[in-house]
Amino acid sequence: MYIDIRMSVCNTEEGTYMKELNKLSEKLKKEIDASIEVTETRGAVRLEGTVKDWDSVIKAGEKAAELPYRGVINDIQANGIDSSKERKAELKDSKLSGLKMDVMVIGGGIIGCSIARELAKYNLDILLVDKESDLGLHQSSRNDGMVHPGVMPKPGTKKAYYNVRGNEMYAAIAKDLNVKYRTIGTYVMFENKVIDVLARSLIKRAERNRVKGVRHVSRKQILENEPNISDSVVGGIYMPTTGVCPPYEMTIAMGESAVINGAKISLSTQVTGMQIENGKIHSVNTNRGNVFPKIVINAAGLFSDMIAQMAGDRFFTIHPRKGQVALLDKEKGRLLDSVVSIVSLNSAFQKTKGGGLVKTADGNILVGPSAYEQPYKEDYSTDYEDIDRVLSKNLRYIKGLEKKDVITYLAGTRAATYKEDFIVEESLYISNLIHAAGIQSPGYASAPAIALDIAEMAIKKAKEYRQVIKKESFIKERKGITRVAGMDNESRQKFIEQNQDYGKILCRCEEISKGEILDAVNSPVPALTVDAVKRRTRAGMGRCQGGFCKPLIAEIIHQETGIEIESILSKGGGLQ
Amino acid sequence: MIEFDVVTIGSGPAGLAAAIELSRQGVAHVVIERESKSGGILKQCIHDGFGLHRFNERLTGPEYAGRFLDEAIEKGVEIWNDTFVSKIEKDDGFILTLVNSEKGVFKIKVKAIILANGCRERTGKQINIHGTRPAGIYTAGTAQYFINIQGYMPFNKCVILGSGDIGLIMARRLTLEGAEVLGVYEAKDSPSGLTRNISQCLEDFNVPLYLSKTVTKVFGEDYLEGVQVMSVDKDIRPIEGTDEYVACDTLILSVGLIPENELAKSLDIPLDSRTKGPVVDEKLMTMQDGVFSCGNALHVNDLVDYVSESGETAAKNAAEYAKQKNRVARSVTDVNYNNEDFLYIVPQKISREAEGKVKFYFRSADIKENSTVNIRAGGKTIFKRKYNVLRPPEMEAVEIELSGEGEITFELI
Repeated sequence: MYIDIRMSVCNTEEGTYMKELNKLSEKLKKEIDASIEVTETRGAVRLEGTVKDWDSVIKAGEKAAELPYRGVINDIQANGIDSSKERKAELKDSKLSGLKMDVMVIGGGIIGCSIARELAKYNLDILLVDKESDLGLHQSSRNDGMVHPGVMPKPGTKKAYYNVRGNEMYAAIAKDLNVKYRTIGTYVMFENKVIDVLARSLIKRAERNRVKGVRHVSRKQILENEPNISDSVVGGIYMPTTGVCPPYEMTIAMGESAVINGAKISLSTQVTGMQIENGKIHSVNTNRGNVFPKIVINAAGLFSDMIAQMAGDRFFTIHPRKGQVALLDKEKGRLLDSVVSIVSLNSAFQKTKGGGLVKTADGNILVGPSAYEQPYKEDYSTDYEDIDRVLSKNLRYIKGLEKKDVITYLAGTRAATYKEDFIVEESLYISNLIHAAGIQSPGYASAPAIALDIAEMAIKKAKEYRQVIKKESFIKERKGITRVAGMDNESRQKFIEQNQDYGKILCRCEEISKGEILDAVNSPVPALTVDAVKRRTRAGMGRCQGGFCKPLIAEIIHQETGIEIESILSKGGGLQ
Repeated sequence: MIEFDVVTIGSGPAGLAAAIELSRQGVAHVVIERESKSGGILKQCIHDGFGLHRFNERLTGPEYAGRFLDEAIEKGVEIWNDTFVSKIEKDDGFILTLVNSEKGVFKIKVKAIILANGCRERTGKQINIHGTRPAGIYTAGTAQYFINIQGYMPFNKCVILGSGDIGLIMARRLTLEGAEVLGVYEAKDSPSGLTRNISQCLEDFNVPLYLSKTVTKVFGEDYLEGVQVMSVDKDIRPIEGTDEYVACDTLILSVGLIPENELAKSLDIPLDSRTKGPVVDEKLMTMQDGVFSCGNALHVNDLVDYVSESGETAAKNAAEYAKQKNRVARSVTDVNYNNEDFLYIVPQKISREAEGKVKFYFRSADIKENSTVNIRAGGKTIFKRKYNVLRPPEMEAVEIELSGEGEITFELI
C-alpha cells in the first residue's frame, strides 16, 4: 500500500514508552557506557553522558532511534572531541538591523533557495540568510549532482515521498532556470545470479514508492547502452528516471530566481540567537543586526539542529556522515552514459547507496561517494586512504577507467538525523517556525517537492495575519550565464557581435569567455571570489585546475568590484 | 574560407621560431595565439639564462621572446592574438574553427598544422595532496604570473614542493620579493632541476633543499595555515611516523609539466606515454600526416634553445609537406631503446627512407656516470659519445647522419 505521509507530524505523549525507555537505558549503560542517561523530552529521546569515542556516540544514537519516538537528541560527548566546531561569519555590521519581513529563510543551500523561490511566487517579503559568502557551500556543492529516482528510501518515509515527487519536477524547473539537466538512468548491476532475490525486492520497493519504469535487465540489455561494463556483470535493475544536474549551478539558479522575483539574499550572515515570546520567535539575531520575521524557516542543513535549539524546539541531532568523491578527466567521460553501481547482498539497503560511477551533467565521471561517521560537520578534508578505497571499489565497474584519470577530489558531510528521515513540518511548540531539517541524500532530488510543501505551510501561517496572493508578475524563467562554447556557430557569432567579451577565451580547458566571467560577477547573486566564478561558469574546473585562468579572473573581479585580490582568492572572501 | 599552407598554433618560443622559418620557406601561413601577447610562458620568466646556446648570451625570457617576435614582425609574419582554436576537423587538409572578439566564430583551411601550444603544470591533486582546500596553494607558474605580470604578492611564508626549475626559480623570486621561503621539498632523492639553478636559486639565498620528503596534507580553512611533510621511501611512498608540521601561508607546487595535447587528442593522434606528447618521426610529424609537433607540446624541454630549434625543424618539414603535390604514404619504424636506460627519446620513430642529419633528444632513466651512448643503424655503429654523467633532469641532444638504414637503436653502455 502507498502511504502519503505528507506534512504528517507524529508526536508522542510523554510517558507512553516508559518501559522501552528504561530498557534502552539499561542496554546503553551495559553495552556502551555506564555514564549514559536516557530521558524523554517533547516526544524525543535525549541521551547524555561521556563515552570513549565517536563510534560509541553514534551507536548509542542509532539504538535510541529504534524506539518509536519522533526524534533522538544525542548530547553524548566523546572524550577529547569537540564536535561543536563551526565556521563563523566574521563580518560585523548593521546592514539588516531592524528589518521586518514576512518570511526569513535560514540557510542558502538547495533547500533554502528552493523555498525562497517558491515563496517569491507570492506577495511576501522574503529574506534568506546564509553564513557563508556564497550560496550552496556545504551539502549543496558537495554532492554528486544526482537526482535520485527514489527507489532506495524506505517506503512510507518522507524521504521516499519527496524524492519521487522531486525527481518528477526536476526537468521542468531546470529548463525554466536554464540549468543543464539530463535524464540518464541508473543501472544497479549484479555479479551473481543469486541476487535475483534482491532484484525482486528492489522492483517491489520501486512499486511501493511509485517510481516509474524500474525493471530487470540482462547483461546484454545493459551492454546496449553501456558497452564498457565489467565482464563480471550478469544483469541488473534499470531505473530510467535518474537525472543529473550540476548542484551548485542549480542552487545558485534557484537563489537567483528568488532574487529576480523580489526576495532578498544576505550572505555572510549568521544567525546567532533568537528571542522567543509567547511560543513565538519575536526576533532573530545575526552578525549583521537583529531582524523581525513573522515566520521563520529552518533550512540550515548541517546546523538545522542548532537553529532548532535557538528557537527552543530541539528534538533531533544532526550527525555528519562524511563522503569523499573523485572526479575523472572529461576525456574518459565517453566510457559511461548513466549511473552505474554494483550491489551485493551485503551492500544493499545500507544507509548509503555505497557509491558508484555517475556521468555528471558536465560530462565527467564522478566516483563515489564513500560514507562514514565522524564528529565534525564541516570537516571537508580528503585523505589518500578513503579516495583510494573509493577508486579501488568503483573503477572496476567500467573498463578503461584508471586511478591516474583523477583530476580532483572533494569531500562533503551529510546532515543525517538518527531517525534517518527528513523533517519537513511545522514546529509543534513554536507557532511561527517551520522545519526543513535533517535533509541529506536524496535531499537534492527532493528539494522542489519539499519547497512546495514548506511554502504551503508558510502561506497558511501568513494568511493568519495578512492577505496572500499569487503574483502575476512572477518570472519563472532565469536566463543565467549562457555557455557560449556550447552554442552552434551561428548563435555564438551573434553573441560575440553583440558583446566582444564573449569572443575572448580566458579558461582554455573549459573554453569559457571573458563575457561569461563578467556575467557571473554581475549576476543577481554576484560571484565575488575566484571560487564563486568557478562554481557559476566552470572556469578553472578543467585539467589545469585554474593554473592559467585564476590570475586573470581575480583581476577581472578586482576591476569590477574593487575588492582586494587577497579576499578574491580566499575561500570565505569577497565580503562586501 | 581563408586558406593557408600552414597554421602554427601557439606563439611562444617554439611557435615564433616555426613561423619565422615558414616565412623563410615562402609558404602562406598564419600563427594563432590565444593570449593577448605573444611569447608564451617566457613573458613571465623575467630571470636571465635564456639563449646561451643560440645567442651565446644570457637573456631574460621576455628578451629572448622579443628577439624572435622582432624578427617575425620584420618578416611580416601574421599573428592572430586573442584567438582560440575551438576545433580542428580533418578534410582533404584541415579545417580549424577559430574564435575571437573581432571576427567571432570563423574557419580557416590549411594543408599542415604545427602544434606549438606548450605545456601546463601538474596540480596538487595529481600528486595526491590531501587535507582541506584553503586558498594559498598555487602552481609555481601561477605564482610567477601573479608576481611578475600582475604585480601582486599574496605570499608571505612559503613552502615549495618539487625541485623542478620553475620551483627553484620561484624560491629565489619569492625571496627577492620579501617572502620567507622555508624550504624546497623534493620527493625524489635527487633534485629535478638544473644544477645551475640549485646553486643560483637555493644555495645563494640560503634556501634549504630537503630530498626524499614530500607534502602529504594541507591544513587551514579560508587560508593555508600549514602543511604536513613526510619522508618517503625510494618508491615515493610516505614512511609512517615521519610526519612533521610546517606552518606556512603559501604552498608552491613545482611538480612537473605536462605537454598540452588536447587538440592532438581530438584528432586521435597517438601520444607517447613517457613524454605525454605526440609520437613523431624525424620530421617531427605526428602519426597524423600533416600535423607536426614541437617545443614543450612535443616533450618538456629544460632549455628554450631546443624549443626554438624543434620549432624550426617542424616548420621546414611542414613547409615541404604543404608544397608536395603527390604525397606518398609514410613507412615508419620505432627508434629502439631500453626503458631502463632511457627515460625517453624523441623522435620516437624514423621513416625507413630517412636520410641526412637528424637531431635526437633524450633523457637517461637514472643518473648514469661514465657511460657511453652508442647508436646503431643498419647493423653498424654510426654514433658514439662518452658522457661523464647523464642526469634525467638534463636533456641531451645528438645529431646523426642517416642514410636510409631504415632502423635505429640507442644503447647506453
